[in-house]
Amino acid sequence: MASLVQVEQLDKRFGDVRALDRVSFEVDAGEWIAIMGPSGSGKTTLINILGGLDHPTSGRVVVDGLAIGSLGERELTRYRADKIGFVFQQFHLVPYLTAVENVMLAQYFHSITDEKEAAEALARVGLSDRLGHVPAELSGGEQQRVAIARALINNPKVILADEPTGNLDEANEAVVLKLLRDLHDAGHTILVVTHSQAIGNLADRRIELEHGRLARISSPSLAKAKE
Amino acid sequence: MFPRILWKLLGASRGRLTVALIALTSGAAICSALLNVNLDAERKLTQEFRTLGANVIVAPPAAGGDAALVDSGVADRIEGLHIAEIAGAAPYLYVAANSGSQPVILAGTWFDQVATMNSWWKVEGRWVSSRGDHEHCLVGFNAARLLGLAPGSSLQLRSADRHLALTVAGIVTTGGAEDNQILTNLDSAQSLAGLAGRVSLIQVSVAGTASQIESVTRKLAEALPGLDVRPVRQIAAAQGTILERIRGLIFWTVALILVLSMLAVLASMAALAMERRKDVGLMKALGGTVPRIMRLFLAEAGLLGAAGGLLGFLIGALLARWTGERIFGVVISARFEVLPLTIALTIGVALAGAFPLRLLGRVRPADILRGE
Repeated sequence: MASLVQVEQLDKRFGDVRALDRVSFEVDAGEWIAIMGPSGSGKTTLINILGGLDHPTSGRVVVDGLAIGSLGERELTRYRADKIGFVFQQFHLVPYLTAVENVMLAQYFHSITDEKEAAEALARVGLSDRLGHVPAELSGGEQQRVAIARALINNPKVILADEPTGNLDEANEAVVLKLLRDLHDAGHTILVVTHSQAIGNLADRRIELEHGRLARISSPSLAKAKE
Repeated sequence: MFPRILWKLLGASRGRLTVALIALTSGAAICSALLNVNLDAERKLTQEFRTLGANVIVAPPAAGGDAALVDSGVADRIEGLHIAEIAGAAPYLYVAANSGSQPVILAGTWFDQVATMNSWWKVEGRWVSSRGDHEHCLVGFNAARLLGLAPGSSLQLRSADRHLALTVAGIVTTGGAEDNQILTNLDSAQSLAGLAGRVSLIQVSVAGTASQIESVTRKLAEALPGLDVRPVRQIAAAQGTILERIRGLIFWTVALILVLSMLAVLASMAALAMERRKDVGLMKALGGTVPRIMRLFLAEAGLLGAAGGLLGFLIGALLARWTGERIFGVVISARFEVLPLTIALTIGVALAGAFPLRLLGRVRPADILRGE
């Protein structure tokens, strides 16, 4: 059976800077992948290309059978709505919409809105009492949980999270990690960009980048099993 | 969800949108006032022109020779026709007479009608307002200077062996031929000329548009066969020219105001576009297509335009009323056909002013999410 995500010889250049240099890997459905590496190693560039937010310079990226490198803007937009759920370090919620409306916004751009379903998604992340609150009235951890609910609302094929705990304190980090673990247990495919060893250790595999190159792919769970 | 997001968008950018709304409302108010005035201008101008004297002449046929005079009963027949548009009709008999050795033109007429038709004449002294006043006369400004006359002066006129004694009631300045004439009672002029029951012509003042004047002219021609009934072309043409100029002025003023409003909206929307870059980047990242996102912003601009147009129309109606009272001395009522036009123009201006928001379609979500 073909992998859910296939990345082959992926190159991305910004002028003279080579952000990604012939990166290749595959991700199976239901896997939790941690993308790690020092700042400037190309982690966010990789996740932007996987999420259809950026175009590769060369190489091939296939997600759920769709070669996204050859898609136009309109098809990429549809791809993002249908197959990808984003979670960002900065949360990126619309400040004038309430928690439930932020979740409904993703529904609106995907197909039709269902407030009850959006409220249930927020309840699953423990925010059933925060539906009518705008982001300014929520803590950082609560905002990130809204973002996770928004990412899940359209049942995406892949969840892409860029430093999801980067702006959170320890307590909120633990809450978000538990949510990611639950999602993984429920069969979701998750790719997380992170500097956190804790998250890296929870992943099925770690893809480590250095200077845009794939440095190594390791499997923390196997290492733990050997120990 | 669309109206819900739209409502939140409106609430989130209250400050900038209020500035844009003020600009749109101000523009719409002036446009609405001018359009109201424009629609009423023809009627008002017609009323103004009516005060400028006769605009239809009833005269004997051109080939009438010495007998080219009209029976003075014709003036009574015109009065008897009761045509609503006729504001006044005054018969005139012009008599060549002498004051001492100085030749003068004496015009016999009905003073009551002359007063109605020429209320704008400037009179030094007093008007003669009674049709039956046989003792007084009005003397044109130039004639008074020539003859050394002032209000209260006595005047002896002679024509052949007939004499007429008059007292000057007032000196009139008309800017027309009357400045060189002496105006007196029609019967007195007829007696002096020995032309009882005859007049040279009848001046008729018709209220209405050029087409109404033409229509009254046709009715009079039918009712007065054998007489030459014609509109005074210069006045009708002047009325048309002035109306055209007023319309041109209003058109260009409205266009200029709409452009200025659009520039003010443009400035507000440019600032708003900067504030919304992040939202648009996020919406695109979540799978929002450019047309779908732009529909939100264009609906917002359209709503703003509709609100500005409606408010502007109401304020403009008050402005038109005030302008009408101050300039025309009459009340200009709000014309409801101006409402859709004002709203349509204001929506157009708002959509044009929302151009910077349309540029947001070019925002690259990756740049925004990176924090650029």
